[in-house]
Amino acid sequence: MANQYVDMDSLKYLLYDIHGFEDVLNQEHFADYDREAVDMFLTSVKDFSDQKLYPTFQDMDKHAARFEDGKIIVPPVVETVMKEGGELGLISACFSFEDGGLQMPLTAMTAAYYIMDAANNHLPGYLGLTQGAAELIVEFGSEELKAKYTPKMLTGDWAGTMCLTEPQAGSSLSDITTSATPSDDGSYKIKGQKIFISGGDHEYVDNVVHLVLARIDGAPAGTKGISLFVVPKNKIQDDASLTSNDVITAGDFQKMGQKGYCTTHLIFGEQDDCQGWLVGEPNQGLKYMFLMMNGARIAVGRGGAGICTAAYYASLEYAKERPQGRRLSAKGTKDVNQEQTLIINHPDVRRMLLLQKAISEGSLSLVTLTSIYADLYQTVTDPEEKEKYYLLLELLTPICKTYPSEDGMRSINNGLQVLGGYGFCSEYILQQYYRDIRIFSIYEGTTGIQSLDLLGRKVAMKGGKALMLLANEMKETMKDASTYDDLKPYAAKLGAKLQLTQDVLGHLSQFAMKGDYERYIADATIFMEFFSKVVISWLWLQMATHSKHALVTANMDYSEEFYNAKIHTMKFYFKYELSRTSSLAEILKDQDVLTIPNEEEVFA
Amino acid sequence: MKILVCVSKAPDTTTKIAFNADGTALNKDGVQYIMNPYDEWYALVRALELKEAAGGSVTIINVGPKENDTVIRKGLAIGADNAVRINSNGGSAMYIAKQIAEYAKGESFDVVITGKETIDENRSEVGAMLAEFLDMPFISYASKMDVAGNTATIDRDIEGGTETVEVDTPFVLSAAKGLAEQRIPNMRGIMMAKRKPLNVVEAVAFDDLVVPVHYELPPAKSAVKLVDPENMDELVRLLHEEAKAL
Repeated sequence: MANQYVDMDSLKYLLYDIHGFEDVLNQEHFADYDREAVDMFLTSVKDFSDQKLYPTFQDMDKHAARFEDGKIIVPPVVETVMKEGGELGLISACFSFEDGGLQMPLTAMTAAYYIMDAANNHLPGYLGLTQGAAELIVEFGSEELKAKYTPKMLTGDWAGTMCLTEPQAGSSLSDITTSATPSDDGSYKIKGQKIFISGGDHEYVDNVVHLVLARIDGAPAGTKGISLFVVPKNKIQDDASLTSNDVITAGDFQKMGQKGYCTTHLIFGEQDDCQGWLVGEPNQGLKYMFLMMNGARIAVGRGGAGICTAAYYASLEYAKERPQGRRLSAKGTKDVNQEQTLIINHPDVRRMLLLQKAISEGSLSLVTLTSIYADLYQTVTDPEEKEKYYLLLELLTPICKTYPSEDGMRSINNGLQVLGGYGFCSEYILQQYYRDIRIFSIYEGTTGIQSLDLLGRKVAMKGGKALMLLANEMKETMKDASTYDDLKPYAAKLGAKLQLTQDVLGHLSQFAMKGDYERYIADATIFMEFFSKVVISWLWLQMATHSKHALVTANMDYSEEFYNAKIHTMKFYFKYELSRTSSLAEILKDQDVLTIPNEEEVFA
Repeated sequence: MKILVCVSKAPDTTTKIAFNADGTALNKDGVQYIMNPYDEWYALVRALELKEAAGGSVTIINVGPKENDTVIRKGLAIGADNAVRINSNGGSAMYIAKQIAEYAKGESFDVVITGKETIDENRSEVGAMLAEFLDMPFISYASKMDVAGNTATIDRDIEGGTETVEVDTPFVLSAAKGLAEQRIPNMRGIMMAKRKPLNVVEAVAFDDLVVPVHYELPPAKSAVKLVDPENMDELVRLLHEEAKAL
């Protein structure tokens, strides 16, 4: 295991210096917060992660969650995390004071969870899902449901889950069949099966509160007939004791990664004795779930960013210690009598490490900015500003979910390569990061779904206003960067790519205008890849411009090397990644139609 | 039980230490500060445990400038009831001890606890000097402390073992590893810390008797040499001729 898995300076630099988190803290809603309090909280989370999460990371992979004698067995650290994480405020802090929380900004919590994701990505989900489930109850449930369930969820005494997927209905939730039959007492009898339920059951909490999507008898077909229910594993009796609610755990899915994070198969109402309580209005379940989806998708991107950050530091540490081969002399020869050089001195290894740095810090920048937009959208009062942050949040969320997951994988793939054959061996950690991150491009809507959302909905939102707002933000950065001669060429390059984005969208929109929507979105995933690189380039130019300013004015909170490294990495990203958008644009503008099904048998 | 815990700040253990060009002071550029771990993990936490068991109050005290408030707030977030900062740019151990003593004299503390040392300068001096100024007994390097009534039973680390002593309050104690376990401040504690009193008291005049003249880093470690396990002769030669260990 490497000594380092996260860099707190880079995290704080992005929070305060680049994305102006103090603007969020200055909002009336967050009046009880200041930088000192947030920094102290992040230090607490880092200490907690150092002591409890990181030391158990490899062990959770070796001792995977499993199903035995009708029970899910998870590593004992899950108990520590639920209890101590609950005490630290890692479930409750973002809730309002009235709901038992501390009204903390999402951005601060995102930063905290990023540290935990980097330390041990198998564990934050246990806390995060409990937070998400409680949030649904608080947001949409009755006062009675809130009072009954959320206090123990916020302390970590009880866990929470989201039960959406069924064996026959994954990405297409309109096909779910779990049923809810009204009972005389106002509750519903729930019957059905749910699969891929993360954190669905374990022995370290007294109760698990499932938020279940189901159809009330006679509800309309499709998504319009889906309702949301609280279905606890154990019912609460009048004397506050718990009794079984006929929620049976049928198994645990054995996975290639995140093995310590149990993924369960649950059966509701096998004995016709499973009670559920409606959350909010009938047939509004999917809408409620999706109102919470921005947060969930930011969380997935955050996880991807955390894992690829940890992998970067593991690769970097290895490259700084591993001697292998010799550098070429000016004559192009190698002197075998010379001592071997460290592999970090080989250009190809440096390229891979820089790619890791560029992707991981670029991802963190994107996740941080998206969280800040979420906080500002929630708290600003001026309607114009509110709309601005809403549109920017909506536009960036699918990218925030996708880029750290997809390019995080690429990043770790390169990081594994840095270790050569050892990277493939189980005693080195890179292979675990490589397996763990794989699920993130699938969680909470696959990359394909996110790409459809980006190109099919977000780009065209309000007549393209979201895109225009983002372009304006980019132009501001280009203007600032252009005040420094050595950054001008990069500002110009970004400007050209913004123009290229318009060209690509102009080309694609012809199909939408003709009503050929399938053609319009057929290459949505390629567009996601293309546009993500433009966005991340912008974020790197922000960092480079700020760093340049700090160096020129000698107004430095961090070392000179820190700022120079940011500028260097920006240049690297522009050369090695932004340049790839040209070939992606070529694909997007190509006239050949090769993936839309027609009469032709192409898989012969 | 009324307890005073003396806390100081120290560079984060991950900080790269450097001195200015003439070696007379720490180069503070980019240095992140933390509460001295012996003060935080052992002294403060044991004080809080005693208060939780028997009632009373825990006050933390620091001698330093306003920048130290961040470290003091952390102590309040962990659970101290109130804090005092003696407004000063610091000085020698005797200067620090004098400032704390001047404050503590009028406050009737039952127990005064310091960390066994600060991790940057490793002086281990303040506790003993403070006891002298306050005319109280001093127990150093305490790794266990139980209090019953007015009497404390204390295990202190000695070379190769442990010595157990008894002492009546009031006394001064320096805390070593084992006295308590680190507590991580939670968000509720952090929020409450902002509402707890932090009193700033001006320093009293005191001529420092000891002045640091020069700081120097240890020599850089030389590169590691890897020796083939089959080539023991070479290992012996290197240990003999280069490392001079044989």
